[in-house]
Amino acid sequence: MEKFGKSQPVRRVEDVRFLTGKGRYVDDIVPAGALQAFFLRAPVGHGIITEMDTSMAEEAEGVALVLTADSFKAAGFVNEMDFDVIELEDGEGAAPPRPVLADGRVRFVGEPVAMIVAETLAQARDAAEMISLEVDDLPCWFGPGPGGEDIHPEAPGNLAYDWSMGDEAAVEAALAASDRVVTVELPDNRVAATPMEPRGCYVEMEGGRLHMCFNGQGVWGAKDEIAACLGMEASEIRVTNPDVGGGFGLKGATHPEQLAIAAAAKMLGRTVHWMGERTEGFLSDNGGRDLVSTATLGFDAEGRITAYKVETLSNLGAYNSNYGQFIQSELFSKVAPGTYAIDKALLKAKGYYTNSAPVDAYRGAGRPEAIFVLEHAMGHAALQLGIDPFELRRRNFIPPDSFPYTSATGVTYDVGEFAKVLSRAEEHSDVAGFEARKAESEAAGKLRGLGLCYYIESILGDKQEFATVVFGENEVELHVGTQSNGQGHETVFAKFLSDQTGIPMSRIRVVMGDSDIIEWGGGTGGSRSVTMQNTATLAAKDGIAESFGAFLAEREGVDPAEVTFDDERFRLPGSNLSPTMLEVAEMAREAGRDDLLKQTHKGSLRNMSFPNGAHVAEVEIDPETGVTKVVRYTVTDDFGVLINPMLAEGQVHGGVAQGIGQALTERVVFDEEGQLLTATFMDYALPRAEDVPMIAFHHEGTPSTFNAMGMKGCGEAGTVGALAAISNAMLGALAPLGVSDIAMPFTPERVWRAIEETRVAAA
Amino acid sequence: MYDFELARPTTLAEALEMLAEEGSDPLSGGQTLIPSLRARLAMPERLVSLMHIDELKGIEQRGDALHVKGGTTHAQLVHGAYDIFPGLASLAGRIGDPAVRTRGTIGGSVANNDPAACYPAAALATGATIHTSQREVAADDFFLGLFETALEEGEIVTGVTFPIPQASAYEKFIQPASHFALAAVFVARFDTRVGVAVTGASEDGAFRWKEAEAALTEDFSVAALEGLSLPEQGLIADVHGGADYRARMAGVMLRRAVAALA
Ligand SMILES: Cc1cc2nc3c(=O)[nH]c(=O)nc-3n(C[C@H](O)[C@H](O)[C@H](O)COP(=O)(O)OP(=O)(O)OC[C@H]3O[C@@H](n4cnc5c(N)ncnc54)[C@H](O)[C@@H]3O)c2cc1C
Repeated sequence: MEKFGKSQPVRRVEDVRFLTGKGRYVDDIVPAGALQAFFLRAPVGHGIITEMDTSMAEEAEGVALVLTADSFKAAGFVNEMDFDVIELEDGEGAAPPRPVLADGRVRFVGEPVAMIVAETLAQARDAAEMISLEVDDLPCWFGPGPGGEDIHPEAPGNLAYDWSMGDEAAVEAALAASDRVVTVELPDNRVAATPMEPRGCYVEMEGGRLHMCFNGQGVWGAKDEIAACLGMEASEIRVTNPDVGGGFGLKGATHPEQLAIAAAAKMLGRTVHWMGERTEGFLSDNGGRDLVSTATLGFDAEGRITAYKVETLSNLGAYNSNYGQFIQSELFSKVAPGTYAIDKALLKAKGYYTNSAPVDAYRGAGRPEAIFVLEHAMGHAALQLGIDPFELRRRNFIPPDSFPYTSATGVTYDVGEFAKVLSRAEEHSDVAGFEARKAESEAAGKLRGLGLCYYIESILGDKQEFATVVFGENEVELHVGTQSNGQGHETVFAKFLSDQTGIPMSRIRVVMGDSDIIEWGGGTGGSRSVTMQNTATLAAKDGIAESFGAFLAEREGVDPAEVTFDDERFRLPGSNLSPTMLEVAEMAREAGRDDLLKQTHKGSLRNMSFPNGAHVAEVEIDPETGVTKVVRYTVTDDFGVLINPMLAEGQVHGGVAQGIGQALTERVVFDEEGQLLTATFMDYALPRAEDVPMIAFHHEGTPSTFNAMGMKGCGEAGTVGALAAISNAMLGALAPLGVSDIAMPFTPERVWRAIEETRVAAA
Repeated sequence: MYDFELARPTTLAEALEMLAEEGSDPLSGGQTLIPSLRARLAMPERLVSLMHIDELKGIEQRGDALHVKGGTTHAQLVHGAYDIFPGLASLAGRIGDPAVRTRGTIGGSVANNDPAACYPAAALATGATIHTSQREVAADDFFLGLFETALEEGEIVTGVTFPIPQASAYEKFIQPASHFALAAVFVARFDTRVGVAVTGASEDGAFRWKEAEAALTEDFSVAALEGLSLPEQGLIADVHGGADYRARMAGVMLRRAVAALA
């Protein structure tokens, strides 16, 4: 077991492939002769389709098929997307159908209305222009909150769900009895996921079976959804994921285009390909965040939290996405009370339909939102109570001796050394030197603020995973049920198997993303991949050691109980024989024991882990222009035992950069008619290298007791901590001027206006 | 993109002959034109590429002026103007990104007259002359409004001659997503006059800020700009900034440019 502690920064083996153009993404492997698909999309945000004539398009040159809701249904397919709805005390969330192709009504700009399949993309586009589509406009609604024209008859007032958790009377009473109460309204802006590789797929028919290759976060969900939509048996369907250029939650969900493409391939018996363009992505990809919360914290005279209440209104978009209803409710609740000993908490969340693309999971899904609310509210509270923000946290942390600790929202944390991590963070980020840095900024005419966020993350996703090990003649395959989207899985999983078994890493090939090869897996999401996959690999190692041991014992005539495996070699009592795992595999092959050469083992956990840590951000603002820069950023994390420190740090860098994007630059704007004004990178500002400072990463690990490795997931933690750290830094810089209610994203104009208003007020 | 023909003439005369035909448009670096073709916003029958015409490339000093031929890319200008007219080289070096600068040309930029383009500000502030295939036009008479210029059908920009100022500065407040100008000011200081032009801010494209020119010609100092501000009327308001914000940023950029030169 000590090998877990090796924590080696092994370089990513896949990078040579990626950096030399040898990555194989969907568009690199489309079979020759594939037909090309193009989607005609809703031109307005809300309206009734009064006319749709596709006859000219059907006759156009090169066109093989035009599908609309009517022809889709006429072909016997189910024009409905799958989604889950939340359970409520008195029933469940609204479940208005979400069509694959708009059926009589359009509900957001970019909604697929018809699909044209032709020999070339240009022909498909030409044909799309020949479809006459008439829509009688209805008023658009962007909420989030009640109001506007009902988007679905099933959801009066556009309310999708009204969910709550906690003892309202007790919380209200505790707040009423509090010494001080701090209430703040905190909007959390909508973001577009914009992975480097947009969504895309191709579908081919292989001897009566259907094969979909798409860039996803796992293959098994799509397989079931295709089966349900097309009325096929799951066994008739194969789904694969090749190299994937970023997912961030977006690619975890099946989108309508995939089902339409699958339907076309099945109808035509030919390969059909579609790759979304950037603007199509902006219009039709599931969005992220998009909520506004009102947080109320009660404090006693010592600054200890007496009760916590959050009321959230969130935008679900025009339809339920796969998990939309759970994100700002149940997932939000997982870490809502954070790292504090809060015993009275009340969460109230209402989700609303609006005329925008559906909203679903985006890196962190509910947990960045919850931590942003809590930690930015703590920032406000520190200011209002006049208590140092580090001190206010210390007074409220769950003490180390209370673990395992069950939070007010019913989640059991295994371990936590929050005060220790915070002290380290205070040193690493040189809080002591802040005043001097601030004076320097001020001498240059700039404002400067320091912000702290102490976050905790709850790892999510399936709590079981499989690992299949195949001993080939030249290499060992490790089949995994998770899916790399570029995070470095091939390196981490191979290295871990190598550490556990002594099989050289260079002989191990990680295989993933093929539902014919791998029967089931949980995919990537919720920061689960390394924890779950390595847990399965551990189970596989144990299973192989045992079955190989038994084989050896039989062969050598010793008691199987006396054969041991020490992570490199098998040892037999009274024998000089000490074969490696590969050597035993060869013996098994020679003995015709093929059953030993391919083994599948399942790993499961009862609980996931709780990474946590402190983000300290410093911002500098040019008050004349409003331009804001994050100039210093220090992360001190507790990820338990680090499996690969370099990759963990990389995940933090990426997560923080995404957080900086949401906090400073990324903004989705619709006009009143539902047109998206930020539909290209000319208007939607992703953070650039110059917007992201060097991020210092420090580690202060307390091993998790919920998994054998002692590790904690780290894929989303960076985004979870960044939003409040930066928002609190803004508060620190601007509060002295009298600005305390400025919302993300802190664009130059917004910051300038906030400062300007105080100047005007002062004049 | 709709189908179109692509012609690659190697002489100016050949190109002009082709452009005289109906349905033909010039193509330079394509940094503006190709995206609009991709979005199917333009439907030319034929594009006549100007990128293979040697006589349209190059930078030379002509007395007190710098002459830049129309097919010169932004990247070539960065290097070619560095010693002669550093203010212009600096402007060119901040257009787009390396890919854009390697392809995009001064001719294409000036002909396109995007309201947020950089060169028009330098041309107006220095009192440049735009050379076309038919005539020479003063910058003041060339830029006519949003994406509008004095160019006639079939007429192309063959070069721009910039009088070289004693000193110049371009302060560019960037639109955060595109990094085009949200409000940018070019200040050109000559012996007897000061030129000031603003880009990115106005619905009519780049323009000279004559009040600023007058004030600075009299007294080249930040103090001389006291009380000077740009009226909001006619300024662009979009998701990146209201008209009042652009007006104020133009003022901030002007003062910073002057401070850098004073
Ligand atoms: C990401 C990005 C960022 C950018 N940022 C900036 C910026 O910060 N500042 C800035 O100023 N610009 C910016 N640009 C625009 C860039 O400078 C373009 O290169 C320029 O506007 C057009 O030049 P081009 O040679 O590419 O012209 P093209 O795209 O080839 O042509 C543009 C138009 O001009 C016509 N045309 C081309 N050449 C001539 C000619 N010689 N005579 C007459 N008509 C002609 C074409 O028919 C077309 O209508 C940016 C572009 C991109 C893509």
